[in-house]
Parts: sequence; structure tokens; C-alpha cells
Amino acid sequence: MAVIETIATTYLEADAATVTFSSIPATYEHLQLRMNVRTLRTSSLETTGMRLNGDTASNYATHRIYGQTVSLGAGGEVATTRLYATGQMPTSVQPPRTLYGAGLVDILDYVNTNKNTTIIFQSGETTSNYPYMTFGSGLWEDTSAVSTILLYPANGSAGFVRGSVFTLYGLKSS
Amino acid sequence: MAAFTVIDHTEIGVAAAYWEKTGIPTSYDHLMILVSGRDSSAGAGRYGKMQFGDGSLDTGTNYSATNLMARTSTSTSSRDTGSDRIPLYYISDDNDSADTFGAYRIWIPHYANTANFKQVFAQTSAENASSTGYTWALALIAGLWQSTDNIERIRINAGTGNWMQYSTFTLYGITSA
Repeated sequence: MAVIETIATTYLEADAATVTFSSIPATYEHLQLRMNVRTLRTSSLETTGMRLNGDTASNYATHRIYGQTVSLGAGGEVATTRLYATGQMPTSVQPPRTLYGAGLVDILDYVNTNKNTTIIFQSGETTSNYPYMTFGSGLWEDTSAVSTILLYPANGSAGFVRGSVFTLYGLKSS
Repeated sequence: MAAFTVIDHTEIGVAAAYWEKTGIPTSYDHLMILVSGRDSSAGAGRYGKMQFGDGSLDTGTNYSATNLMARTSTSTSSRDTGSDRIPLYYISDDNDSADTFGAYRIWIPHYANTANFKQVFAQTSAENASSTGYTWALALIAGLWQSTDNIERIRINAGTGNWMQYSTFTLYGITSA
């Protein structure tokens, strides 16, 4: 029996405001989310937001270390209404149209109700003007088992560009 | 044959100074470890440390590491040579938000290769609901065990405290064919 199983894949045949994975089985130890993302924003870059179990309250924190072109940066945000699932991703004004950023998120012990949910993520994209890579972690201050994951462009754009793809995996521990 | 196999999964019941797995078979190509951990210490010294062995644990000064780290808005880089362990750096501790655990993702490629030293790559975080400097941490680490022995034993020590209850360690073996 496979240790890593695909729970669901969403390939956008058309632009979409959000992507949701719901009814996530509680039968795994960890989850992993892999994605290629491009958003409809009309400015240069946009992050990907993530909310768990429909919680829109200020129960999230994210910390990041990132590099843009030749500059390094780092920092944290707390009491926010979403996690970051990726750092900056390419947008509709960043050519070529075939360019999508890559992101990978591990969601650890997502059904363990003795602990808040913690994620670690890495992402990158190499637009000619604004290449950007990020490593980060996030916290949802809630001990509930995660059953729903909502992804959306976090800087207010209308959504993800057609061709963006999101795959959720489950990792077993036995 | 499945590409990923679970070699060990441990959830800490009673606080423990370390997690250790012995008898790791040489039949895989690579190892990956996912840790969701919380250290009972508070503040200085709250970072995990990794050691290897083939049979007995190597506690000699045969380890080194280089890191890129952030604990404030300024990133830093440093190295650690001639050490008795690979530092995995900071993990959430008992000063941090309640019920909050940090994360380690550790890759050990070609762990059974007896011709080469063993290289480790790790991504680690001490997550906390705070943006104040030094209350959180992120690190990318390249670590080296200067031994051509295959890795039969892995130990991940807590900081100056213990791994707290509900900390989990999952060791995967990965095959290439």
C-alpha cells in the first residue's frame, strides 16, 4: 500500500477565484500540497493565502525568509486572517503567459487535536523582473483536525489564472 | 515496490531527551524525516541536534554544518565545524504559544553509500504566534557527517530540555527503482 497517496488534484480549466479541498480524510499523518500558480493581479507579484476549516478570524501567523533578485529579507505576521501557502507568485502582467510559480507545503500532524496546526512551505518563481524565492512556516492557532483547505490570491486579485494546478497528497505513518 | 516506505513513526508519550531509530535497513536510496516537535526548555539552547552511527552512535567531532537563518528581519549565515552533532537549529519551545509545535523536514540522500561522506539538507522552523525577534526562527541547513559508514542509526536530540508529549518523528525510506 502506498505511503503517499493523491487525495485530489485541481487543474483550472478557467480562471478561478479560489481553490478548495474539502472532506479531507483523517487517515493520514501529514499532508503535502504541491502547486503551480499564476494570478490575475495587475501588479507584479502576489502571494497565495490559505485558510483552514473555513476560519476567517485572526488566528493565523506566518514567518518567512525570502530572496528577491539580489536582496534578502525576513519577517513575520501574526493575528492575520490567513496563512501564506506560497511567497510571491507571477501575475497576469508578468510575461510569458506560460510562466507559473511553484509551491510546496507540508501540513504536519493535521488531525492531531493535541496541537495547533503548523505548516512549512517553500516556493519560487523566476520572472525576468522580479524573481523571488521563499521559505516559511505558518501557524493556525486551533487544535481542530484539518478537513478543509481554501487557497486564494492574498493580495486582492480576482483569482488564479487558468492552467494553475494544485495537488493534495496524504502521507501515512504506518 | 512503493517509492516511499515508513521505517518508523514515533509520537512522544513521556517527555524524552531524544528520538532514536536503530537498525535502519540499507535497502533504500534516501531517507526523509518529518518532525513536529516542541522542546520543554525555554529560550537558549532550544534547538535540536542530529547524530548518526553504524552500530554505535558517533559522538566524535565528525560533523559540520552551514546555515541560512532568520530570527529577525535580518537573515544571517554561519557555519559549524568539528562538532559532535549537526545542529538543526530552533524548534518551538515551552515559552511559545500553547500547543504550538515547530517543524523539521530533513533529507539524507544516499545514506547507505559507503564510498562517500553523508550530506544532509534540512528545513526547520520554530513557529510561534509572535513577530518579535528571537521568538521565532527559520533555517536552511546543509549538514555533513564525515564518515563513509552507512547510516544505521539516527538520533535527534532535543535542546537543553526534552521533546514534549505529542512531538512526532516520521522516518521514510525512499527507493529509486
